[in-house]
Amino acid sequence: MKKIYLVLIFMSGILLASDVKPINNQLALKECGSCHFAYQPGLLPKRSWKKIMRNLSDHFGVDASLDKNDNTKILNYYVVNSSDNSKQYLSRVITRYTRSDKTPVRITLGTVFLRAHDELRRSVFRRKSIQRAGNCIACHVSANRGIYNEDYVRIPR
Amino acid sequence: MKKSFLLLFAFTLTVNAKGFNPQMQQYINQLKSQAQKEKSGFTDFNAKRGQKIFTSVHIGKRGKNISCSSCHSINLQQTGKNIHTGKLIKPLSPFANTKRLSKVKDVKKWLRRNFNDVYKREGSAMEKGDVLYYINSAK
Ligand code: HEC
Repeated sequence: MKKIYLVLIFMSGILLASDVKPINNQLALKECGSCHFAYQPGLLPKRSWKKIMRNLSDHFGVDASLDKNDNTKILNYYVVNSSDNSKQYLSRVITRYTRSDKTPVRITLGTVFLRAHDELRRSVFRRKSIQRAGNCIACHVSANRGIYNEDYVRIPR
Repeated sequence: MKKSFLLLFAFTLTVNAKGFNPQMQQYINQLKSQAQKEKSGFTDFNAKRGQKIFTSVHIGKRGKNISCSSCHSINLQQTGKNIHTGKLIKPLSPFANTKRLSKVKDVKKWLRRNFNDVYKREGSAMEKGDVLYYINSAK
């Protein structure tokens, strides 16, 4: 019995090898990625993506507006693959730790992010090689493949 | 002396400009007819005016000093850097990056966004044309 469990866990590990599902949508990659690391939909619940995509003309103080057609396409992709619609490990954790009465829009202020990075001094994020906490790929070398676990971290000087 | 120097400079800017592809030229022509309606006596766009639009500093959408050069650098042949996110931006000059000013949809999108960020309003047809002439000629 125990053995079957282990095999099952191992198999699901292969199926869900990434911590969040990598982006497999060219439009989303291009549009989100032209200004910053393209955060995977599985990093926030769908209500958050709805709020973000509704307010793109004032996106953290910057105009990131899209035409209606592209906005709808990207929003749909982000909703379908949001954390609360995903089975991947990190997505499930994020969904569990996001209060249902809150609609967070900053991944780096979320409980999961803060706990995972609590051993780091904030000044590390401000290194020239990193710039800011939202620049995932600076340390998580496989972040674009949806891999955020500690084995794949290299903090640059 | 100074005047002839300026004339010469304006002349080199015009002569050195790369041609636009057909779709972009069509967009430029649209901007032109709009500019003619909006400003009496308008003849053509001007790269020198565009340079001023591009390099002058304004209080932007975030309430801080910003210019187009803040992200695209003064030398358009060089790699720029997004001042908000730190992400590098490939050179804006079509001489350094042949993909630039080739897709009307992208050009329209970025002019809308970037004018809002720097000028807190959309650019007029004349401003857009001037700035495109400047980017297209900036060596
Ligand atoms: C906050 C940073 C920032 C500022 C300020 C800024 N831009 Fe941009 N601009 C960008 C980014 C990012 C892109 C997309 C880069 C890419 O495609 O690699 C871009 C793209 C463009 C493009 C599209 C070029 C093409 O064909 O690919 C044009 C034109 C442009 N900017 C003009 C301007 C003008 C004019 C201003 C000033 C009114 C300005 N920018 C100010 C960040 C900025």
